[in-house]
Amino acid sequence: MIWFSLAFKNLIRRKTRSILTVLGVAIAIAVLYSLFEFQQGYQSRLKGELGALGAHVMVVPKGCPYEAATIALHGGKWPRYMDESLLAKVKANPGVAEAAGVIMDAVFAPGNKNVILLGIDEDYMKLRPAWHINGHWFDTDSSVIMGSTSAQEAGVKPGDYWVIPEKNVRLKVAGVLNRTNTQDDGFVFLPRKTLQKISGLEGKLVIILIKARQVDKTDELVASLKASEVDMNVFPLSELLGTIGALMASTKVFVSAIILIAVILGGVGVLNTVLMAVFERTREIGMMKAMGGSRGDVFKLVWAETILTTVLGGVAGVVIALVSSRLVEALIRGMIPYAPKGSLIGFSLPTMAMCVGLSLVLGLVAGFYPAFRAASVKPVEAIKAE
Amino acid sequence: MKDREPGIKGSRDQVSDLNPGTVGQGPQRPTPEPLNPAVVARGLTRVYRRGAEKIRALKGIDLDIQCGEFVGVVGHSGAGKTTLLNLVGLMDRATEGSLSVLGHDTARRGVRFDALRRKNIGFVFQEFYLMSTLTALENVLLPSMWGRGNEERRTRNEEQPKGIRGRAMELLDRVGLKQRMTHRPSELSGGEMQRVAVARALVNSPRLLLADEPTGNLDTVTRDGIFDLLLALNRDSGLTVIVATHDLSLESRFTRVIRLEDGVVK
Repeated sequence: MIWFSLAFKNLIRRKTRSILTVLGVAIAIAVLYSLFEFQQGYQSRLKGELGALGAHVMVVPKGCPYEAATIALHGGKWPRYMDESLLAKVKANPGVAEAAGVIMDAVFAPGNKNVILLGIDEDYMKLRPAWHINGHWFDTDSSVIMGSTSAQEAGVKPGDYWVIPEKNVRLKVAGVLNRTNTQDDGFVFLPRKTLQKISGLEGKLVIILIKARQVDKTDELVASLKASEVDMNVFPLSELLGTIGALMASTKVFVSAIILIAVILGGVGVLNTVLMAVFERTREIGMMKAMGGSRGDVFKLVWAETILTTVLGGVAGVVIALVSSRLVEALIRGMIPYAPKGSLIGFSLPTMAMCVGLSLVLGLVAGFYPAFRAASVKPVEAIKAE
Repeated sequence: MKDREPGIKGSRDQVSDLNPGTVGQGPQRPTPEPLNPAVVARGLTRVYRRGAEKIRALKGIDLDIQCGEFVGVVGHSGAGKTTLLNLVGLMDRATEGSLSVLGHDTARRGVRFDALRRKNIGFVFQEFYLMSTLTALENVLLPSMWGRGNEERRTRNEEQPKGIRGRAMELLDRVGLKQRMTHRPSELSGGEMQRVAVARALVNSPRLLLADEPTGNLDTVTRDGIFDLLLALNRDSGLTVIVATHDLSLESRFTRVIRLEDGVVK
């Protein structure tokens, strides 16, 4: 018989109370795991999405930068446009290596599925050197290139025809992109002029993506672009990353406070439960001492019970967090202005280790006082206690 | 003379002798060999405080109990029997006087009562105090868990070729519970629970067994069975046994009776 076996049996003896205590810790740890993973996932996914744009600077119409970021990264319908003539001005800037003007629209396919349409030209391809098209580039104004996911959902392959939902315009699928594992997989690409015409947005652009000639002089490029035109927002993508990161960082303090409170409450719950159990088991503890158990023995046993409770809670918390990750993600996404696509709360061994480690520390701290009280029980008084 | 090794040793035939009902009745067993003092008390006093009131539970008693004796401490409720056993069992400290247990002066600084108790003294209580979540075997093994440096007792060695677990099983066999080892206390009768408690008290091979009203909660038939068991342990292994009881009908079965009355030996 080993210590933890005895400790475990003592926990089982008070099933309901033990389960509730473990649950209290589990909820605290689940919150910790979910929020920590969300923040980690957010940062890394955002970086990935911005990197996938293949540009250093983004020019968008005047408006909320987060909305602009969402449109740039995830596509969509945004009722703000720039004049297409701006593209030529941007291209004329000596700091610009490549610039691609993009028009965007969104339609609903049957089943309420949102289809993002991007109007692009050859310049866009220059920002996407990794693209591999099964088929070929637009050969007519009525052709379309589909992202791999879009093609799969529409059930089309190169050479097929595809009708734009809501617009009822029939286009020939010139090519399908090999999977890029970026937001491009979910887009449908049309010749820019064609989409402008279909959407009634002739001469308009939603975004201009710019690749700087010298990356280390991006700030100067941004400054000169800002100076040349007042009717647009110019963002270096690094700044966008920083701005969104700062927004998340400001919530981090709030989130950390919530986690801290949850963990403290969990710890106080554990302390209370174990202390109650010690009071109830005074005679039993006295018996242990009468059998030769030292202060250290009793201390270890009660401490082991507490640690077992919190570590079980920690493990259960991680499991709860993983099982409920989609629900939690959906809730958090609904509360913040922009969130990258894809799963943000995932299976992370370091985060798991941190959570279980924290639950262990919680057990060590919360169990100390009850263990001390138990160790201080005098056998003769305990045994005669009723 | 050197103390005989306590605990239960001997052949299987001797084992069967330990079964209640077959053990010798009363003090007809052979007289023990010359003895060493197991307990020596001089002027032993224990005063409790209850608020402002002082209660003198023991009033300066003198006592000599030799190794291998089977002693009954008898007296009415409140006479000081439990107080005396608690002091001898190193669960409490005397207010005044001196007490030596198995050669250890309990007043000496640095004496670790828990270690002495663990190695030398077994306890049997009126209310068994078995842990409800543990099986009979696990309850018997419990005292072997305690204490640093106890590994020797837990492992197999020449003295205990089957290890502590083997010894615990053997003890349960000897108290007639071979078939009940995996049963929990709730599945045992009062007499069986007390037998488990006796086996538990013996698992660490103590030199002194203290029993405080061990038959107080049992019917007369079961009471006699437990008493026979304690007698057999004393007779066969030379274990010093001190039993506190208010049951005066048991007096004739002890080799010696210490009569306590209002904290004084009469």
